[in-house]
Amino acid sequence: MGKILLVEDDEVMPKIIARILPPPEYEVDIAVNGKEAIQKLEANHYQYDLVITDIMMPYANGFEILSKVKSHEREKPIPVIIVSNAGNEDMIMEGFKLGVDDFLKKPIIPAELVIRVKRLLMRNK
Amino acid sequence: METTLSDILQDIRSIYYYAPLAIKVAIIFIIVAVSATVLAYLVMLRSRYRNYRQQRRMARMLPKIDELLMNEIIANPNIPHDVAPSKVALDLEPFDELPLHKRWGREMLTERIIHYRNNVSGTAGDLLRNLYLQLDLDKDAMRKLKSRHWNKKVEALNEFTLMDMPIADVTILPLANSRNRELRAAARQAYIKLSKNEPFKFFDSVTDPLLPWDQVELYRIITTTTDIAIPNFARWITYSSNKSVVSFCMKLVVHYNQLAAVPAIIKLLENRDHTLRAEAIEALGRLKIAEVEDRLVHLYTSQPLFCQIAILKALGRIRSGRHIDFLRNEFLHSTDFDLRKAAARAIVKNEIMAREVIDELLATTTGENLLILKHCMNPLIKY
Amino acid sequence: MIGIIFENFVFVYGLAMLLIYALLALMSNIGVRLFKKRSPYTDYSLLLDSPLTPGISVIAPAYNEGVTIISNVRSLLTLNYTRFEVIIINDGSTDDTLQKLIDEFEMVEVDFAYNERIITRPVRKFFKSTNTAYDKLLVIDKVNGKSKADASNAGINAAAFDYFLCTDVDCILEKDTLSRMIHPFLNEYQNKTKEVGDPCPECGYVHIVEDSTRVIASGATLRIANSSEVDEGVMVRVRPPSRFLPRFQEMEYIRAYVLGKMGWSMINAVPNVSGGLGLFDKEIAIKAGGYDHQSFAEDMDIVTRMCGYMLDNNLKYAIRYIPTTQCWTEGPPNMKIFSRQRTRWGRGLAEIITIHRHLLFNPRYKQLGLVVLPYNLLFEFLAPIIEALGLISIIWLALTGQINWPYARILLLFVYLYSVMITTLALCWDQLTYPYYKTTREVFGLTLMAFLEPFIYHPLIVFFALRGYWFFLIGKKTSWGNMQRQGFAPKKPN
Repeated sequence: MGKILLVEDDEVMPKIIARILPPPEYEVDIAVNGKEAIQKLEANHYQYDLVITDIMMPYANGFEILSKVKSHEREKPIPVIIVSNAGNEDMIMEGFKLGVDDFLKKPIIPAELVIRVKRLLMRNK
Repeated sequence: METTLSDILQDIRSIYYYAPLAIKVAIIFIIVAVSATVLAYLVMLRSRYRNYRQQRRMARMLPKIDELLMNEIIANPNIPHDVAPSKVALDLEPFDELPLHKRWGREMLTERIIHYRNNVSGTAGDLLRNLYLQLDLDKDAMRKLKSRHWNKKVEALNEFTLMDMPIADVTILPLANSRNRELRAAARQAYIKLSKNEPFKFFDSVTDPLLPWDQVELYRIITTTTDIAIPNFARWITYSSNKSVVSFCMKLVVHYNQLAAVPAIIKLLENRDHTLRAEAIEALGRLKIAEVEDRLVHLYTSQPLFCQIAILKALGRIRSGRHIDFLRNEFLHSTDFDLRKAAARAIVKNEIMAREVIDELLATTTGENLLILKHCMNPLIKY
Repeated sequence: MIGIIFENFVFVYGLAMLLIYALLALMSNIGVRLFKKRSPYTDYSLLLDSPLTPGISVIAPAYNEGVTIISNVRSLLTLNYTRFEVIIINDGSTDDTLQKLIDEFEMVEVDFAYNERIITRPVRKFFKSTNTAYDKLLVIDKVNGKSKADASNAGINAAAFDYFLCTDVDCILEKDTLSRMIHPFLNEYQNKTKEVGDPCPECGYVHIVEDSTRVIASGATLRIANSSEVDEGVMVRVRPPSRFLPRFQEMEYIRAYVLGKMGWSMINAVPNVSGGLGLFDKEIAIKAGGYDHQSFAEDMDIVTRMCGYMLDNNLKYAIRYIPTTQCWTEGPPNMKIFSRQRTRWGRGLAEIITIHRHLLFNPRYKQLGLVVLPYNLLFEFLAPIIEALGLISIIWLALTGQINWPYARILLLFVYLYSVMITTLALCWDQLTYPYYKTTREVFGLTLMAFLEPFIYHPLIVFFALRGYWFFLIGKKTSWGNMQRQGFAPKKPN
C-alpha cells in the first residue's frame, strides 16, 4: 500500500496514472496545481509515501514542491519523481540538485513508471 | 405602415438625389457602416455559438473517449503481450458508441489520441496508433492533404508526423518544394520522420534558410525519432552552401556527440563568416575537443568580439587547464567587460587546475575585476 | 476664405482618417486570420525542452508593492518557459517590498558583476535565493529614480540573456506568454542572408552584413483586469470590467491592439510596444540608449529610437504583434487617476513628436519617417485639436444660423455609425482570435460601449489629451535644460 501525491495540471496524465497505479495497492491523491499540492501536503502532514510532480504549473512549480518536500524534516525523506514534458539539461540538473529521485520525460512508458514507483516505495519501506 | 416606410425611402431618395457629393458619400457609407456592424454581430454570434457547441460536445464526449481509451487500450488486460502492438486486432465494437460517422466526432477522437500519445509512449503509444489506423481516422488527414488550402495541408502533415504515419515520398517531395514557406517546412519534417530512404536528403537541396523556429521543430523531430539512421553530418558542414544548414548540423553533431564530424567543424574556423565561426567554436567547446585549444588561443587576437567570447567560453567548457595563464591575462588586461567576465567564468570552470590562480587573483585584484570574479564563483548565480 | 480652407481641410482630413481606419481593419483581419490558420499546428511547447530555445530576462520594476509582491513574483516565476530569469528591481520602495522578497524567497546579498551600459541612478544591492527552486530570481535594490524607465534600465544592465521582456510587477501574464512572444523572433520569414562587404583592413576577414530582417521587438494584446477574478497572480476567470470607465478602456485597448497594432504590424509600421508588456532585442535596445527616464512616453520613445538606430545603420528590422491577449493590467478605476494617466499620455505624445521631429517626413527613415510618425502627428496628435476646433466652429455656425441641419445630421450620423463600425469590427476580430469571456452577454455588454463611446468616453479623452499638450507647452519653458537627450548611440561601422 502506497499513498501517492500526484501533482499535474494536465487532465489526461492523472487519469492514466490512476489507472496504472490502481487501488488497493496504491492510493493516488491528485493536486491540479502547485498551490493545491502544498495545501494537500500540509493538510496531510506530509504523510505520503511518494510524490509525482510535473514541473510547469500555476502558483508553484515542481521544483518548489520538490524543495518543500525534501526540506521537510522526516526520518526518511519522501521520494519524488518528476514527470514533465520540459526536460532539457538545465532542468534535469536543477532537479537533481534539489534531490529528485527520478526524472521521467513525457511521453512516459507506463510500465516503466510502475516499476520506478515500486522500487522507490520498496527502498523507503 | 407600408406607406410610411416607402415614404421614408422616398424622402431619402430625394435627399440623396439633390445632395452635394459629400452627403452622397456619407449616405452610402452610412449604409456600409450599418451593414458591416450588423455583419460583425452575426459573425461574433456565429463564432460564439460554434464555440459553445464545441464545448458542449467536448463535455459530453471526452469522458466517454477517456473511458474507452483507458479500458480498451491503456489498461486493457485482454491485450495479448506476445503480439507486436501494431499487429494486435483491437476490439472496435465499444467505439461504436462514439459519433464517428460525423467529422467532428472523428476529429475529437484523433485529437485526444494525439494528446494521449504526448503523455504515453512504448506499447501504449503503439496501441493508440494502431487504434487510429483501425478506425480509419487517417482518412480525414489524407483528404486534408489534398485540400487546396496550404494550412489544411500543413495540418495533415502535422497529424501524420505526430501519428508516425508513413507517406509515400512522391506525396511529400512536391510539397517540400512548395512555394509556401510553412508548407515546405512541414513537409521537410514529415519527410525526416516518415521517409524510409534517406531522411536527410533535403539538406542537399534546401536553398532558403532554415529559420530558428524551423530548426526547433526539426531538432525535436530528429532527436525524438528512434529508428532513424543518423548520417555523418560532416557531409553538409563541409559542402553545404546554406549557412543555416551548416549551423543546424553542428548542433546535431553536438547532440549526437559525433566525433567523426569534428575535422569538418575545425575547418570552419577558417570560414570568413563570423557567425558560423562563432558557432563552430561553440560546438567544439561543447564537444570538449581539447586538441583545438591551442588553435583557438592562436586565433583569438584576430577575432571580433563575439568570437572572442565564444573562444573563452569554449576554453571553460573544455577544461583542460592548459591555458589558464592566457585566461588570467585576458581577465586582468582586457578592456571589455564581457570579455573579462567570460574569462573569469572560464577560469572558475577550470577550478581544479586553477585553484592557485584563483586564490592569487582573489588576493590581488580589486574593484570591478574582483566583483566579476566573485560573481562567477558564486554558485547561487547561474548566468 | 479661411473658413473654406478650414472646411476643405477638415473634409479631406476626416476622409483620410476614415480611410486609414478601414485599411487597418482590413489588414488586422488578414493578420488575425493568418494567426488562426497557424495556430492548429504551431506547438509552442516545443520551446520548453529544446536546447535551441533563446533565453529571456523578465524585467519588472516594483515600487511600494509590498501587499501583492509575493504572489506577483511567484506568478512570474511559474511562467511556462525553460531559459529565463526574473529580475525584480526594487526602485527605492519605502515599504517592506524588499524585506518581503528576501524573507519569502530565502534571499541573500551577493557580489554581482554589474555592467552599467545604460546610466541609471545608483544600484545598491543584489540578492539571489539560496534555494535552488528560486534560482531564476534576481532582486536588485536601487535608489529611486522617480520613473519606471530608470528602474527598467537597471534591469536591462543586469540581464543575462539576449532578449528581455519588460512588464509591470502587477501585470497578470498568461503562462505561455514567453513562448508565444518569442515566436515572431524565431519565425521571421523575411530572414534572408546575403553576404555583402569587403575584407576588413584590420583582421582580413570579410565582415558579413546580414541582409536579413531582424525582429527587434514584439508585443501582444493587453486587457483590463479590473473585474476579472485573479487569485494570487493567476487569472481565474476573465470578465469585462463592470464599471463604466474601465469597461470603456477595455474596449479601447482591444481596438488599439487587435485592430491598430495588429494592422500596423502587417506593414511593419508598429508605432509603439506597450510598456506593460513587450519583448525586446537587448542588443538593439542598449545601442539605442535604453529607456529615457525623463520621457512621459518612454515605451514609444524607446521603440522609435530602436527603429531609428536600425535605419541609421541600414539594418532591416521588424516589430511584430500577436493578437492573443497575454497580459491583464489594472486600469484606472476612477476619473482622477484616469485623467492623470491620459494627460500624461497626451504630454508624452507631444514630446515624442517634438523630440523625433528630424525623422518626420524624412524618406531616409522609411516606414518610421513616412508612416509611423506622420500618422502619429496628423491623426493621433492633431486629432484632439482639430476635433475641438471643429466643435467650436460648429457651435459658432449653429449660433449664427449657418448650418444646413438635414445635411449636418446626415454627416454626424455617418461619423457616428462609422466609429461604431470600427469598434465593433475590432471586438469581432478579438472574439475570432479567442472567445474571451464566458457568456455572450458579457461580449455584448462590451460592444454596447461602442455606441456610448462617442458621447461619453471620447470627449474625456480629447479633453485630457489637450490638457496634456497644454502642460507640455508650459513645462517646456520651465525645464528646457532637462530636455536635452543623448539621442542615438554613436554609429558603429559594422
